[in-house]
Amino acid sequence: MNPVTANRRHYEDLAVGEVVDLGTTTVSKEMIISFATEFDPFPFHLDEEAAKASLLGGLASSGWQTAAISLKMLADSFLNTIASMGGLGFSDLKWIKPVMVGDTIGGTATITALRRSRHHPERGIVTLDFDIRNHKREPVMTMRLANLIELRDPSAPLEAAE
Amino acid sequence: MTRWFEDITIDEAFPLGSHAFTEAEIIRFGQLYDPQYFHVDPEAARHSHFGGLVASGWHTVTVGHRYMVDALFAEEERLRGLGQEPGVSGPSPGVNKMEFRAPVRPGDTVSYTLTVTGKRPSNSIPGWGILFNTIEAANQRGELVYHAELVGFSKLRDYEMPLRLRLLMALTRLPVLGKLLAPRNG
Repeated sequence: MNPVTANRRHYEDLAVGEVVDLGTTTVSKEMIISFATEFDPFPFHLDEEAAKASLLGGLASSGWQTAAISLKMLADSFLNTIASMGGLGFSDLKWIKPVMVGDTIGGTATITALRRSRHHPERGIVTLDFDIRNHKREPVMTMRLANLIELRDPSAPLEAAE
Repeated sequence: MTRWFEDITIDEAFPLGSHAFTEAEIIRFGQLYDPQYFHVDPEAARHSHFGGLVASGWHTVTVGHRYMVDALFAEEERLRGLGQEPGVSGPSPGVNKMEFRAPVRPGDTVSYTLTVTGKRPSNSIPGWGILFNTIEAANQRGELVYHAELVGFSKLRDYEMPLRLRLLMALTRLPVLGKLLAPRNG
């Protein structure tokens, strides 16, 4: 038994359809410039004038920052309450609308699938669909994330879990 | 790779560089964006199936993005050095697929490679092309760390905007009329 995750929810405790409220985060100019300086130093993420002239139309966060902030909100509200074993990856990440200076983003992650790992049947895979919006309720980002989770009973027959 | 859309070659692999991950930067990224125990607490991480601290997959990916941006700027410099006008890269509309494979541990060195696997002119944004990019990251033992399939924008060199569109764009720059003409969702 993993002492870190013993008292957290496991694979058997989750259900498809559960909606995780991610809360909200306000994205400041300082946050945008700090992240862009380290990871995405395109002029349209660093400089207001360059940003106005770009496809973004103004200083906007790196899409990777929008995703990283969404991930932080998921860790705080969900991943650190379950027996998470880390991410497998994601698919269909769409940056729908730029996140501009002063925007407040937030939203939900909904459990859309739960299954046992084919290669490691003692592990479960939880799939979460993100719906991230700005304070005007406009969609800014969607993605589908796959995360590994411990089984409470790793020896449970596969059929019982399906 | 800041080349004009027309000059981008398909299936040519560009090495983007290598990055050595330290324990301190793994923990720092984890605390900021992915504060799960195996990304931020070396002691607790020993109880995880990783058996120790590992970098958030998102950390290795954003570092890879940084190396790609640096490579774009380097190519831009190279083209200017040759007396050519470099192309223009635009923001990315998204990522089709991202698979995290081998975990990255403190001390690991990750090498990134970019390949453009396909391109076509954009249907929604006149004057721009869409690039389908693959980034693969491997550790010092050659094990695949992640495989990513990304989408990017690149400007067309040979594009001439139709007169009707040029007129419309000029009108949308007028303060009052612009608000009426501008598309609702950007």
